[in-house]
Amino acid sequence: MATFDYQVIIVGSGAGGAMAAYTLTKQGYKVLMLEAGRDYNPKTETPMFKTNAQAPLMGSGNVDKDFGFYDATVDGGWTVPGEPYTTGEGSDFLWWRSRMLGGRTNHWGRYALRFSPHDFKGFTRDGLGADWPFEYEELAPWYDKTEELVGICGTNTGLDDMPDSAEGILQPPPKPRIPELLVSAAAKKLGIATAPMHRAVLTRPKDDRQACFYATPCGHGCSIGAAFQTTTSLIPMAKATGLLTVITNAMAKEVNVDEHGKVNAITYIDKMTKQSHSLEAKVIILAASACESARILLNSKSEHHPNGLANSSGHVGKNIMDSTGVGYGALIPALAGRPKYNEDGHTANHLFIPWWGHQLHKEKLLDFPRGYHFEIGSGFRAPGAGVSGNLDGYGQPLKNIAKQAYGSYVSLSLRGEMLPNEHCYMEIDQNVKDQWGIPVVKFHWQWSEHELKQVEHGLKTARRILETMGASFTKPLPKAEDAILKGGQIIHEVGSTRMGDSSKNSVTNQWGQTWDCKNVFVMDAGVFASNPHKNCTLTIMTLAMRNATWLASQLDKGAL
Amino acid sequence: MADKKNKYSSSKPYQSSLTRRGALKWLGAISTAAAFPALIGCQSSSKKLNTSKGHWPNLSLSPVSANGYGKDPNLIIAPKNVWPRILTTEQLTLVAVLADIIVPREGNVPSASEVKVPDVVDEWVSAPYSRQQADKEYILNILTWLDDESILRFNALFIDVSPAKQLMIVDDIAYNKADLSAEFAKPMLAFARIRRLVLAAFFCSPEGTKDIGYLGNVPIAGDYPGPTDEAIQHLNQVLDNLGLSL
Repeated sequence: MATFDYQVIIVGSGAGGAMAAYTLTKQGYKVLMLEAGRDYNPKTETPMFKTNAQAPLMGSGNVDKDFGFYDATVDGGWTVPGEPYTTGEGSDFLWWRSRMLGGRTNHWGRYALRFSPHDFKGFTRDGLGADWPFEYEELAPWYDKTEELVGICGTNTGLDDMPDSAEGILQPPPKPRIPELLVSAAAKKLGIATAPMHRAVLTRPKDDRQACFYATPCGHGCSIGAAFQTTTSLIPMAKATGLLTVITNAMAKEVNVDEHGKVNAITYIDKMTKQSHSLEAKVIILAASACESARILLNSKSEHHPNGLANSSGHVGKNIMDSTGVGYGALIPALAGRPKYNEDGHTANHLFIPWWGHQLHKEKLLDFPRGYHFEIGSGFRAPGAGVSGNLDGYGQPLKNIAKQAYGSYVSLSLRGEMLPNEHCYMEIDQNVKDQWGIPVVKFHWQWSEHELKQVEHGLKTARRILETMGASFTKPLPKAEDAILKGGQIIHEVGSTRMGDSSKNSVTNQWGQTWDCKNVFVMDAGVFASNPHKNCTLTIMTLAMRNATWLASQLDKGAL
Repeated sequence: MADKKNKYSSSKPYQSSLTRRGALKWLGAISTAAAFPALIGCQSSSKKLNTSKGHWPNLSLSPVSANGYGKDPNLIIAPKNVWPRILTTEQLTLVAVLADIIVPREGNVPSASEVKVPDVVDEWVSAPYSRQQADKEYILNILTWLDDESILRFNALFIDVSPAKQLMIVDDIAYNKADLSAEFAKPMLAFARIRRLVLAAFFCSPEGTKDIGYLGNVPIAGDYPGPTDEAIQHLNQVLDNLGLSL
């Protein structure tokens, strides 16, 4: 790297890292990016228009490809060979990793909802968790800029849990499908509104990315760039400035300091040669994903930083939050045998159910503190290994039942806000190293009553909506503690290096700059002070754009 | 012995679409593994008949030890024949007969075996992944059970008795009913596994996908058109019936 006189090193090429690289290179700074996985090119590697019959095992998932054969994730998933993680006794936690350029943005759901003004002030509202160190109004213009750059389809609804974007920012959403309209009508009867989901999917062309042509699931990746991923947008755009160099297969190990404890380098393992390299660094941005960045900090112990780097507060690895998750669904008899048409659309829900209970919370009418939303699963989907469900009989009568039932199943997936608690954290497992010799993460996890009561409420509500649609149930609702998905399973883990306004109870200031090391920033979801139920990626990118802009101003001033 | 109406039987086995190249590849794998018989395949414990009342084969199956396709397979040209197939010609023929009982030909719509569903079943039960291995346990046992039961009732292998006799057995295990006789409890559960698999493999095939009415996976120029007028009219009827409105 002697020939490339970079000013900033970024670890990670996903939502946060790529946005930081884009922002800095656009302002003329030279950036070196380390990515732990291999290079990846969606234009040539995305399986567009493939059918499940063309894949092994009808495309179904397994330990090699957890979300199915065609899922864009490369060298990742719930397990990464040679890179284990451990869990404490009684703790169930799943950690999704992607080892590829672009990280998890290659397969994410593209749900891109803004957090609301009240989301930034949870502690002020109910005394739980932590406030963010700024107001929504501070972030709103950055949301606009990010949405404009990323390309979000959706509408301004005026609902209190969906802040409006500036005029002209959002692209038109696709029309809703039949089962979604039926959910909408049923929810309306219960006083609950539905709205077009905001998704990072172009319905109008942008830059050199095409508009969606409404085929091929976004989770497979998108060769035409309609579904946002950093590998077809921010990374090539940053590279086009001539100021970004990317080193792939570079597994960051630790951040190094000089004899005064000042950060001056980063060490990574070249996975191809298994050699360790140290790169001098003036400024380091960690954007390796919330728990991987915290792992790097905790593994960076030195005389001046005995508890790990930037950890004088003891909060690195604490305050981890995922989204709560549970699904509940039913066959809707009235939808059986309905007229066929192409329901692929942009391949995720066109309508969803935003959280409707903000006012109820204000009036203290709910026995759980934080909200949730429902995503709607339905439609005439491409047949796969689970197409028929469990049916009785054989022959033509059986086939007719299967064909009648096709497209009549509706599920509601709850995604809710959890609160941080002292039982949900990570530490370094001193007894286990990965194949690169790096000590691994040990997770601890326990849901609290807040999450379980919320899930109970969600299950009851989902059942009422489905019943209003004409579904009937013979079994009682499952218990919340049995139905709630595992920690980490929604892949929204945040908070491990949270930001705040005091170095005593947070790891970074509002700019993602660590309190202890002025030249180390965190720009992934680790900095989240809370985890609103609205999916993290849009806010990761918005914060990275805002905070990298601030970082640039500090470099301009010579403050770093 | 076999009825001449039988499409498949011992004398008319199912022809797998396994390519010569694939077969040679596996032959190599199998001869290597032959030195370590415990590591591969799933030989039924014995050829001895198990035909007592309430019989269940309880085959002792060794786990499949082949490799999967890994964490970074080629998604554009999907790997074929990654693991050796374990079903014998006899088993494949029995799967073909069952598959066509589950999904028979219907006018111009082909039957399950005509779209090579048995090959998908073979790929599935041969795969080294946990879900498939669990299914394999059920499916290989039900295949053996069907022959045992057929011999008990008709003194011939399942594939060699008449379609009517085959259905007499299938009728006993195809329904999860309250008065299900205890002797059919396990066969019923195992039959459900292969039924689900056959239906999926059929509907995943191009012909089955057309038959179920999936109309997607085509690029659309311009905006997504949304529901057809016919679909909207149907929805309005549904809303009326349920007392709902948009």
